[in-house]
Amino acid sequence: MGLEVDIIFKIAGVGIVVAFLHTILDQVGKKEYAQWVTLFGFIYILFMVASIVDDLFQKIKSVFLFQG
Amino acid sequence: MMKIIGAAFIIISTTWAGYEASRHLNDRPRQLRQLKSALQSLEAEIMYGHTPLHEAARRLSEQLSKPLSAFFDTFAKKLTFSETTVKDAWEQSLKEIWKQTALKQGEFEIMKQFGETLGRHDRLSQQKQIMLTLAHLEREEMDAYDKQAKYEKMVKSLGFLSGLLLIILLM
Repeated sequence: MGLEVDIIFKIAGVGIVVAFLHTILDQVGKKEYAQWVTLFGFIYILFMVASIVDDLFQKIKSVFLFQG
Repeated sequence: MMKIIGAAFIIISTTWAGYEASRHLNDRPRQLRQLKSALQSLEAEIMYGHTPLHEAARRLSEQLSKPLSAFFDTFAKKLTFSETTVKDAWEQSLKEIWKQTALKQGEFEIMKQFGETLGRHDRLSQQKQIMLTLAHLEREEMDAYDKQAKYEKMVKSLGFLSGLLLIILLM
């Protein structure tokens, strides 16, 4: 359980910092950099979540399909 | 415990890098202003004082503050102690000092072109050249002010926030 809470906080932290970066870069007119930063943050989180979901699927498989 | 210390180091260093970059942005208009006043004094020395060039450069190096004073100092020394043309001495001193200033390539070209005209005309054409250089520098100064107002805050917060992001990613 401790791991899950940790990861939620991490996602929230990345989200907040990336949102700040986006706002600041947007204000000074570097729109394209702002979009790249947001995109990379999104991809990073996506990979993290994908690996966790992969864990979940492995667990389900081991419980229901290959029990013996 | 080690983690927290490492995180503190990361955030301190990136914030410091941001402040350093913003100081660089701050220095450029200031040094451009100094450069302009230096050229104005040079004009006064030439037009009204009839001072020889090495003497004028030596006086300028005493009047100005740190990076630019070194430039006029080396220029004066080169003119006094070595067999060289004004153009070469000017260009060499520029190259020697340029790394220590916050100025950009555009200003370097302007100053180099000014050095090519220095000491080759009569006083009136020389004054015109100085006026021309001052006009160019004025334009660069406007550009530097714009950049400072635009990017100074951004660079500071960018340093801090990128450090924060790095810590979160590494945690």
